[in-house]
Amino acid sequence: MEHDNELKLQAYLDGELPEAEAREVLKWLAHDQEAVLLQAELKNTRQALAGAERLIQLPESREFFWSKIERDISRVERTEPAQSKESFFAPWRRLLVPVSAAAVLGIVILSVLGPMSSSSMAENEVSSEDDTGFVYRDDTTGTTMVWLSYPAENEVANQEPATKL
Amino acid sequence: MRDKFTGLIVLVALLAAFAAFGQTPAKPDKKIEVQLLWGTDQPKSPNPAHRAVEADIQRRLKNSPYKWSHYFLVTNQTVFVPRGSATNVAISQKCSLEVKDLGKTMLELSFFGQGKKVEKRTQSLPRGEVFIYSGNAPGTNAWLLVLKRLD
Repeated sequence: MEHDNELKLQAYLDGELPEAEAREVLKWLAHDQEAVLLQAELKNTRQALAGAERLIQLPESREFFWSKIERDISRVERTEPAQSKESFFAPWRRLLVPVSAAAVLGIVILSVLGPMSSSSMAENEVSSEDDTGFVYRDDTTGTTMVWLSYPAENEVANQEPATKL
Repeated sequence: MRDKFTGLIVLVALLAAFAAFGQTPAKPDKKIEVQLLWGTDQPKSPNPAHRAVEADIQRRLKNSPYKWSHYFLVTNQTVFVPRGSATNVAISQKCSLEVKDLGKTMLELSFFGQGKKVEKRTQSLPRGEVFIYSGNAPGTNAWLLVLKRLD
């Protein structure tokens, strides 16, 4: 039996069919044994459910109850377009949060590593572009001495008094 | 709530960035004392204008490999090296020293003698430490150029 016919038969039993369709179903039941059996089964099922189903009495009428639901649906449909409208700053906010977090992290890392990496060499290390001197380092006194092979004849011995440069 | 937290993160990041890279007070110039010394075994300097060397330098020289028994102060000057810039210090008529600030305790020293660059080096000079250039002087004497950080 087609599913549509089964639904029509159920609707007939529920009294939900228009008069014309109900007459057609009666004619159909008159010569279709399968439909009669189905009708009997549906009747038995409805009777069984009717006995077991608790009757809940609403404090309001059926029409008022459904009108409340209809109003709620309408209200939700009205507010949804407003909520779905994205703020102008929403895309920027989505971008700024990870960028800001990365910036903070980067600044923290740089500030920690800065003192260690700002100089390309340890504080006590030196580099000389011209290998003309002999270097001696006294760590106990914190003194670095460089001996230059500068000409022995220089003007220091005849240096003017300290008041003159 | 979420929006407030987001705004707070952005604000903190901006403040941190401004503190790190924004306008900051200019650091003062590096203050370095430059002393020209005469090293000799003679108890008296040939130039009567020479003065006694300060005790701190005397102590350092005494513990150094320098062989001379006496040192005398020839000239003493204080130079100010702007941050990130260079200052030329006239040592004598023919000698000069260029001191360039490289940040933190680092300096670039360029020693010029008779118009030619004798040596150039990158040297760390933190407060409390001393750097000495030295070389032969007429006879068995020596000249010493002492750099001492004062700031």
